[in-house]
Amino acid sequence: MASPQKTEKVLPEYGPVTKADLSKAAWRHNVTLQWSWNYERMQALGYLWSIMPILQRRAKTQEELVASMQRHLVFYNTNPAVGSPVIFGASCAMEEQTQGEMGDSLKVALMGPFAGIGDTIMAILLRPIIAVLAASFALSGSWAGFFIMLAFGLFWFWQKFPEFWWGYKQGVGLVHQVAGGALDKLTEGATIMGLVVVGGFVPSIMSRLVTTVKFAQSVTVDGKATEKVVELQPALDQLLPYMIPLLVVGFAYWLLKSRKQSPMMVLLYLTILAFALSFLKIM
Amino acid sequence: MSYGIGMALVLAILAYVCILANLGPSLMWHESIIVGTITGLIVGDVQMGFTIGATLTLMSLGMWTYGGATIPDFMTGAILGTAFGALPGVGLEGGLAVAVPAALLMTQLDVLGRATTTLFIHGADKAVARGDVKAVTRWHLWGHLPWGLTRAVPVFLAIWLGAEPVTKFIEWMPDAFMKAMRLTGAMLPALGFALLLTMMPVKKYWPFAVIGYVLFAYLKMPMVGIALMAAAVGFLYINVKGVANRG
Repeated sequence: MASPQKTEKVLPEYGPVTKADLSKAAWRHNVTLQWSWNYERMQALGYLWSIMPILQRRAKTQEELVASMQRHLVFYNTNPAVGSPVIFGASCAMEEQTQGEMGDSLKVALMGPFAGIGDTIMAILLRPIIAVLAASFALSGSWAGFFIMLAFGLFWFWQKFPEFWWGYKQGVGLVHQVAGGALDKLTEGATIMGLVVVGGFVPSIMSRLVTTVKFAQSVTVDGKATEKVVELQPALDQLLPYMIPLLVVGFAYWLLKSRKQSPMMVLLYLTILAFALSFLKIM
Repeated sequence: MSYGIGMALVLAILAYVCILANLGPSLMWHESIIVGTITGLIVGDVQMGFTIGATLTLMSLGMWTYGGATIPDFMTGAILGTAFGALPGVGLEGGLAVAVPAALLMTQLDVLGRATTTLFIHGADKAVARGDVKAVTRWHLWGHLPWGLTRAVPVFLAIWLGAEPVTKFIEWMPDAFMKAMRLTGAMLPALGFALLLTMMPVKKYWPFAVIGYVLFAYLKMPMVGIALMAAAVGFLYINVKGVANRG
């Protein structure tokens, strides 16, 4: 047992995993994960390259290294900013303790739920609020919109690092953490916030949609019949302010939800509607 | 007026860098407001970048690459729309008339890029079998070539060769068309809002949308005020609900 195998030489990188190795892995993951994204195995190659510093430390022989690399070349896909750093951190912890196979099942178990949570937080809850705010600044000619968007992107990048270290500390315990109810509460609160914002921003962003229709009305003043021009828009405002923006959004929503139209078709219908209303001199 | 080959190259590099900054570090530089503003700075019309970028951002509100799905490429749309819109005689309406179709057409190239990168993981398979760590590194780090080139090449060609035909086409278009295009631009955010609403539990929480509407339409509250109010309402709701459940 003490006799070293002559044919298998011990790899020079073999040794304990250091904090520097973990940091290197985290940077690789957080900067490059999706650069080689492809239809077949999606984020797999990025994942393998990111975790390589850990694999190289833990593989004693070339054979072990090849085997551990092959384990990571399997299909992997989740939200790269909210979710993947946590999974990756936990997976690094498993590899460090040479529990690679357990790490693999953790990856498979968590990538689905994390894709759902991450995409919901980013795409449905936070991006719309930030994007609408930024867009309304930009439309009013202010640089603030650009900087809000820039800061938003920097935030997503920055927060991957605490995510990674949290995942690393949790290790296997991660599965139980995710099953807890804290995320549901956060999601509900953010959904409500999103709806208030959308409710306010639909009329604000689309306030340029006004009708130019005028009526000529004959009125009798002091016994003399005169023509008076009445504009339609102020009358609509009396009834319900920003009625046209609400109707157009309602129309698009109805097409998507009840008529099951694709966004591309709705885009086409809205363009036709705009051209028709413009040519008919209604708007 | 048209752009030279140098400008075409600069904007092509911008497209390449922005798609990579989104793919890898999630910096969101592919967002139309960011890329539109930078394009505006480069071509000397920042306001055009603001407006094209904001309009495309609002259109894309509910759009997200769920599980790697392809969505319209508003990044390329924003670069082309801003660059062409900044040309004399084209303007905002002309810029939008370029940006939206470009974003839709680019979906074909997105699919091509995502498919081509498959070659890189097959290369990596072979490298791993040999235990060649350096080759694995190369396959991964160059995996962005198909991604970047499918954006950069169309931008380069369109800016280099497209400015004159686009300008001529827009000048030839009747005024009524340009007026209709302006109205289309004002109407397109409806798609973004509607798409977003389909993904939210509107039936359950619709009163919150009404609160937002009343704040703006009747109380004339500025947008930052509405966002703060929204955060407060969301926070209160979960807490009050938590108390109610315990009681």
